[in-house]
Amino acid sequence: MATLPAFFRRTNETGYPALSPIKPERDPFQLRALPQEDVLFYCKRIDNSRLVREPDPQARGACWSAIGAACFLLVVLTSVLVPNVASTLAGYKLQALRVEERQLLYEKRTLELEEAELLTPQRLETLAQGQNLVAPFPGQVVRLNAKGDSAVAMVK
Amino acid sequence: MVDRRLAWLAGIVLIWGAAIFFNIIWLQVVHHQEYAKLATERQVVAVDIPAPRGTIFDRTGQPLAMSVPTESVSIDPLRAPDLGVASELLALVLHLDRTALYGKMKWAHDNHHGFLWVKRKISYEEGQNLRNLRLEWIHIQDESQRHYPKGTLAAHVLGSVDFEEKGNAGIEQVLDTELRGQPGQARMLTDVKRRGIDSQSAADMKPGTPLTLTIDERIQFVAEREIAAAVEAHHAQSGSVVVMNPYNGEIFALASYPTYDPNLPPQPGEDKAGRLNHAISVPFEPGSVFKVITLSAALETTDLQPASMINCGHGAITLFGRTIHEAHTGYGTIPMAMVLAKSSNVGAIQIGMRVGQANMHQYVRKFGFGQKSGISLPGESAGKVRQLARWSKASLPSMSMGQEISVTTLQLAQAGAVIANGGLLVKPRLISKKGNQTVPVEQPVRVLKPETAITMRQMMEGVVMPGGTGTRARLQGYTSGGKTGSAQIYDPVAKHYTHSYNGSFMGFAPLTNPAMVAVVTLNGTHGTAGFGGLAAAPVFHAVITEALRVLEVPKDLPDETPTRTQVASNEEAGDLAIADIGRGQPNILEDGDDEEQPAAGQAERPSGVPAQPAGPTVPNFRGMTMRAVLAEAAAKGLTVLPDGSGVARVQYPPPGSTLHQGERIRVEFAR
Repeated sequence: MATLPAFFRRTNETGYPALSPIKPERDPFQLRALPQEDVLFYCKRIDNSRLVREPDPQARGACWSAIGAACFLLVVLTSVLVPNVASTLAGYKLQALRVEERQLLYEKRTLELEEAELLTPQRLETLAQGQNLVAPFPGQVVRLNAKGDSAVAMVK
Repeated sequence: MVDRRLAWLAGIVLIWGAAIFFNIIWLQVVHHQEYAKLATERQVVAVDIPAPRGTIFDRTGQPLAMSVPTESVSIDPLRAPDLGVASELLALVLHLDRTALYGKMKWAHDNHHGFLWVKRKISYEEGQNLRNLRLEWIHIQDESQRHYPKGTLAAHVLGSVDFEEKGNAGIEQVLDTELRGQPGQARMLTDVKRRGIDSQSAADMKPGTPLTLTIDERIQFVAEREIAAAVEAHHAQSGSVVVMNPYNGEIFALASYPTYDPNLPPQPGEDKAGRLNHAISVPFEPGSVFKVITLSAALETTDLQPASMINCGHGAITLFGRTIHEAHTGYGTIPMAMVLAKSSNVGAIQIGMRVGQANMHQYVRKFGFGQKSGISLPGESAGKVRQLARWSKASLPSMSMGQEISVTTLQLAQAGAVIANGGLLVKPRLISKKGNQTVPVEQPVRVLKPETAITMRQMMEGVVMPGGTGTRARLQGYTSGGKTGSAQIYDPVAKHYTHSYNGSFMGFAPLTNPAMVAVVTLNGTHGTAGFGGLAAAPVFHAVITEALRVLEVPKDLPDETPTRTQVASNEEAGDLAIADIGRGQPNILEDGDDEEQPAAGQAERPSGVPAQPAGPTVPNFRGMTMRAVLAEAAAKGLTVLPDGSGVARVQYPPPGSTLHQGERIRVEFAR
């Protein structure tokens, strides 16, 4: 039985021929032994309970320095990368909104056009005739808060 | 052994790192510009931002012309991997003929053309379907399409645009620069899927300026409806109507018939007359309407007054060896106001002769004839007024009746506005606002003294009163004045006047403070029914009645049904300026006029025709109080329409004239 360091040390020291294991007579019907089959490992129990870590007052500081440096690096990277990422994402969103704006503008103008076509005097007259409506006589329509070009025309 | 291996490993890593570092230097420093340019070409896309063309509104804010965003598709045939598949794909999405499209693409490819329009002005759905294909050789460009939602309404005013949205007629052409705006451009950063990430504006887009016209679509519609009906009813070739504010020149309506739909591009073989604006582009001999100018000049330059007696020679006058006569009814000696009301040719000639050539020419020019009005429309005709040096002896009497001069309907409206507004020549205007800025009104030019204009108004009222030639223009609830005109059309090929007529009516309402002037012209009418008093005056009546209602002009007469002549009277049917000098005879002065019927080979009419119908004589009320006027009128059985308070200052008909049956005396009182 040997530990791994012992094993490696031995192989280094003895060379190849010495490492060849002593092989017993083999039953021809038995399977061939696996390589290094004769090497056995075992766990060596070590009692370190009596060991005491030597106090190192600088280690804590070095640890905190490392943590601080890591945090600083993280903040720097975040502050550099996040705006870029956010800008890219906002760009995508902006572009999507522009497409939506174009679509809404198209729909708005289409509706305005439709409204204007519906209010065509020719169409209104046809509808009025269909309902037996007639145009009022001059002065027949009285507006409570009258505001028309006539007032301007008559005053000038 | 391990150290050697580690040393080898470290060496390899070092060389690998050095190679990467070298490559980075090679790419980022040595070839930086080259690769940056390549990256920019692939990632940055120049996007055109189209400037929407300005909307055109009427005076009430109704859109008459507007643009709707749309898209157009083009391809790069050189980058299309397979023309057959590409054409099939595009034809399927854009609903095109695959064979024709393939032919065009093949031609473009064979001729190494890297750009080909596939379809212009596609629908939104078609655009989305194309975008979803994500093919880099298909380009979709933002454009806009012009729409005229009211169809043919005000087509000649608005005009139209071509496929590139460039104005090619009407206001669209004249104010194309303002309407068009300035397209912008943006540089857009795209990802590998050609999706936009960021964009920067390279050139700012400036949208087109919206325009607000002085046109009122309601009045415009009625004007177009009525002129179309009149042209059809009288088998005329064309017609036009202008309704105008006499004080600031604002055009309420400018209609021309035949018309067209500006939404549709001109078709091959289409009649060009439909796209011609007859109101401003087609001059014609005005005929008797022009007597208004003659009498205005007479009031200004001679001592003639409305009551001045004019010898109408019982229907005939001999000038320069030729005899000119009224065609229908001869008159003896009648007041000048009656000359206008009856539209006597001989009377107008007599008055014109007293005005003189120089004065006549001066006033014709002062009224704006022979020069463009400056309205914001293309193709305006200045009409034709001969230079004074080129006038013959016959020119003055001819022009007194409205011959030897050509005018447009708009020029007549401008001249009518001079009478209506108290003597000022205003420039017609169609544009009320450009964007939010009001277009300033140009300073008018004085042409007539105010008292002359008022006198003319009073005389022109006689035209629409019973006994006048334009009774069909008389309004219900409003006073009005006007003048009819019917002129024979000259055939330049046959070198003589034909029996086709230009029937016209120029008028205004209300009389004392006119809110609007309207001129109606029918070109190429036939027969008696095509004279101005019968064909044009009813159009004036219909249009002006609607316009007064729309603009809410207060009535100045009590509601009563005017006694309208349903059957053409002699006066209305005689509204004709016969210009047929007959069988090659060169004298232009044998024009008949408003009282004449055209008659081929008509010989000199014997004099002695009864000059005036019998009726009571109008007393002189001037200087009398209202009570005294009413008492005297009641004693004589006359009807008086008093206006104002104080003592009588002005009256119409003038004292001494004969009152026709049913006619009332208008007396204006002032302190």
